[in-house]
Amino acid sequence: MLFNSYSFLFGFLPSVLLGWWGLARWKSVRLAFLTGASWFFYAWWDWRYLPVLILATTIDYIAGLWIARIEDETRRRLLLTVSLTTNIGILAYFKYAGFFLGSLEGVGKAVGLGAQLPSLHVVLPIGISFYTFNSMSYTIDVFRRRIEPTRNALEYTTFVGLFPHLIAGPIVRFTDLAGQLRRLTPKLTAEQASLGAFFLSCGLVKKLLIADRLHPYVAQLYASHAHLGLLTGWAAAVGYSLQLYFDFSGYSDMAVGLAFLLGFRFPQNFNSPFKAENISDFWRRWHMSLSTWFRDYLFIPLGGSQRGPRRTVVNLVVTMFLAGLWHGAAWTFVVWGLVHGTFLGGHAVLRRLGLTPPSVTVNRIVTFMLVCGAFVIFRSPSLPVAGDILSAMAGFRGLDGAARLHALLPVEFGVLIASLLVFVNVAPNTWQVRIRPRVVDGLATGLAAAIAVMTISQPHPFIYFQF
Amino acid sequence: MSAAPVLGRHPATLAPASADARGDALEAGGQKRFVVAFLASCLGALAIVLAFNVVIDPYALAGTGIVPTAVEPDRSIKLDLLQNLKRGPQLLIMGSSRSRQAEPAYLQKLTGLRGFNAGVTGGTSADEYVFARFAADLFPHQRRRYIWFTDIGLAGGGVLPQLAQDPRARRYLRGGARFGLGDVKSYLSTDATKASWRVFEKCVLGSCRSHIRFNADGSLTNQSLHYLPEHAKSLQAAVAKELAGVRAHHETLAQARRDLEAPGRFFYFDRALAFMNSRGEVPVIVLNPVYPTVLAALNRYGFPGRRATLEMVAKLHRRFRFVFVDAENIRTWGGNARDWSNATHINRGNMRTLLRYVVAHSDGALR
Repeated sequence: MLFNSYSFLFGFLPSVLLGWWGLARWKSVRLAFLTGASWFFYAWWDWRYLPVLILATTIDYIAGLWIARIEDETRRRLLLTVSLTTNIGILAYFKYAGFFLGSLEGVGKAVGLGAQLPSLHVVLPIGISFYTFNSMSYTIDVFRRRIEPTRNALEYTTFVGLFPHLIAGPIVRFTDLAGQLRRLTPKLTAEQASLGAFFLSCGLVKKLLIADRLHPYVAQLYASHAHLGLLTGWAAAVGYSLQLYFDFSGYSDMAVGLAFLLGFRFPQNFNSPFKAENISDFWRRWHMSLSTWFRDYLFIPLGGSQRGPRRTVVNLVVTMFLAGLWHGAAWTFVVWGLVHGTFLGGHAVLRRLGLTPPSVTVNRIVTFMLVCGAFVIFRSPSLPVAGDILSAMAGFRGLDGAARLHALLPVEFGVLIASLLVFVNVAPNTWQVRIRPRVVDGLATGLAAAIAVMTISQPHPFIYFQF
Repeated sequence: MSAAPVLGRHPATLAPASADARGDALEAGGQKRFVVAFLASCLGALAIVLAFNVVIDPYALAGTGIVPTAVEPDRSIKLDLLQNLKRGPQLLIMGSSRSRQAEPAYLQKLTGLRGFNAGVTGGTSADEYVFARFAADLFPHQRRRYIWFTDIGLAGGGVLPQLAQDPRARRYLRGGARFGLGDVKSYLSTDATKASWRVFEKCVLGSCRSHIRFNADGSLTNQSLHYLPEHAKSLQAAVAKELAGVRAHHETLAQARRDLEAPGRFFYFDRALAFMNSRGEVPVIVLNPVYPTVLAALNRYGFPGRRATLEMVAKLHRRFRFVFVDAENIRTWGGNARDWSNATHINRGNMRTLLRYVVAHSDGALR
C-alpha cells in the first residue's frame, strides 16, 4: 500500500487513526492494534514476507533482553552476533545472494571457468533494508549499554513495525521512540494534528506534483542515454537528482506527518541537501537517518577520523562502499558508494591541506555538480549506461541538435528544472517553514493536499521502496 | 540532528516550558482552527470536484445524463443504425476507435459482402459480444463474417456504462454496471476534471454540437474525419509522448501473463467466440498496428505484452475457431508511417491497405 494511494489515504489511515485514538485508555491494546495495523500494511504488499519481519523482530527482542541481563562479555558478544547474523543473513539472502552468485559466475567466466552456478530469483521483500537496520541498531545499543531494552514486547514490535517508517525509513533508533512508546500520548493534540497535516501535505505535494511530474522526462532521457549531448546529459543528471530528492524527502515528510498524527515524533531525514557547501556537509543533510547510522555503527567503530588522515580516508571509503551496497545489489550502487567515499576522502584531505575554495557559492556549485554526477551512476541500469551519460555531461558527445533538444528537453521540463533549482537553493525545507496556525494557512495547506490527491490516478511507487 | 517542528513557533522557542500558559492556549486555539480549515478545504475541494464531475459525467460513469458526455455516444447510435438496416450485414466490423476507419463499402468491393462498421470508442469484448448478438437477433437467418480488431491483451473484462445503459445491450450483459468506488477514483482525478471542464465549456457555456456523423453502414462520414478526437495536432509530438510512456512503464512477461489471466477478463471474449462458432461462423481477429518507432521501442524491452498475447492466442485456438491476422508491424502489410491520426490510430489510406491484407490472409473466412 502506497502512502500516495486512495486506499491508504481514505481507507487505511482514517481507520488506523480512529482505532489508535479510540483505544487511548488501554496501552497494550493500542500497541497491539498499531502493530497489527502495521503488519497488515506490510502484508498488503505480499503477505508471504510478513514472517521474515516477525522473525527478525522476535530474535532481536529476545536478544536485547538477554544481552542486557547477562554480564559475561563473551556470551553477550555471542548473543549480539546471533542477532546481527540473523539480520545480515536475511539481507544477504534476499538482497545480495543473487547478485553475488551472478558476479561470481561472471568472474568465473572471465578466468575461463565455465561452471554454471545456480541462479537465484528471490523477490526482495519491501523495506527489508530499513527494518533490519532499525532492529540492528537496537541490539547494538543494548550491547553498548546505551539503552535499556524494553521488556514490553508490544513496545518493541511497534518500534520495528510502525508503518510510517517501515517501508522506507527514516531509520528510527529505539532511543528516538523509547520514551514515546513508554508514555503514549493519550490524546491527539491540536499541535500534533496540525503538524501532521502540514507534513503529510508537503510530502504529497513533493511526491505527486513534483517528483512524479519529473519522472517521465527523466525516464525518457535515461532511455535515450546513447543519444545525449552536453545539455541533455546535464538535464538527465540534474532532473534525476531533483526527482530523487522530492520523491524521497516527500516520502520522509509523509512519514513524519503520519507519525505526528499518531502522536509520535520522528527525526528529520533531509535538511536542504542541495544547499550543502561540501560533500561532507551533503551527507549531514541527505538521508540523515542512514548517514548517522553508518557513522555511529560503522565509521566510528572503524576508528572514524581519530587514527590519522590515511586511515580516515580508508574508513570513509569502506563506509561509503557499504552504504552504496546497502542501497542495492548492483555494481552501480557499489561504484556510487565508492565514488562518494572517494569524494569524502578527497574532501578530508583537501580540508586538512587548506585547499578548499573559500567562496561559499563555488563550494555549493561544485558540491551540487559532484552529487548530480554521482546520482547518474545511482540511477543508471548499468555502468555502461552511466558512462554514456557522464561522457555526454563532460562534453565528449558534443552539443545537442535542435531536434534532440525538442524531443528530450521540452520547454516545460527546462522551466520545471530551473524553478526547482531556485527552489531547493533558496526556499526553506519543510522543517524550517514557519507556518502560522491561521485559518488561511490551513485552507491553503488543505487545498494543496487536495490538488495533489487529484493527481493520484496511477500512483508511482517511491524510488526508495526498491531498497 | 535538528528536530524542530515548525508550526506557529520558531524552532528555537519550541520548548513548551518556555511559553506562558496564555500564549499556549491561544496557540492551541489557532492550531485547532488550522486543522479544521485544513480538513474543510481538503475534503471540501475534493467533494466539489467529485460533485462537478458526477454532474457533468464526462465518461458517462454515473449516468446522470444532464449534459452530453465527453465520450461519444456511438454505441447507441450504432445500435440504432443496425436496427434501421433493411437487410442484415453479411460482414460485421468490430473493435475500438481504431477500427472506425474501416469502410464497409470498400470491403464490399474486395469481398462482395455487405458490411456494417460496429466499431465504437473504447470498444471492449463486451461491446463486440453485444453487437454480434444484436445483429444475430435482428437478422437471425443470416450467416455472418467478422473482422474483429483487437489490441495487445486481446480482451477487456469491463462493461462501460455507455453500453450497459442502453436497454438493447443490457439484456446480453450479466449484472449491471453501477457507479462504484473505482469510478469515484476516476472522478477525483485531474484528467476527469479537465474532461468535465471541456464538456462544461462546450455544452453548458457553448452550443454543444458534435461533428462526428456516421453513414448508414456505420462508417464515418468524410467530414467527420477532421473532428476525430484521436486526431493529433502533431503526429511527431503524439509519437514522442507514446514513446515516453513506453520507456517509463515497461512490464515484465510475468506481469503481462498475470494481466491476461485476470478473472473475468476473457468472459465476453470467450462468449463472443463461442457464440459465433456455434453459428458456424469463423471470425477474423486482427491485431491492430502499432506505430513503427513505438513498436521498435516496445521490442527493445522484449515486448512481453505481445509474447503473452500470442501465447493466449495459441491457447484460444485450442478451444475456438478463428483466423488470426497479426498486423502489428506495418511492414508486413505495406502500411506507411505518415498516414496516422496519432501513434495508435491509422488513417483511411492505411486502413484500406490493411483491409486488403486482411482479406488476402483470411483463409477463406471472409468469403
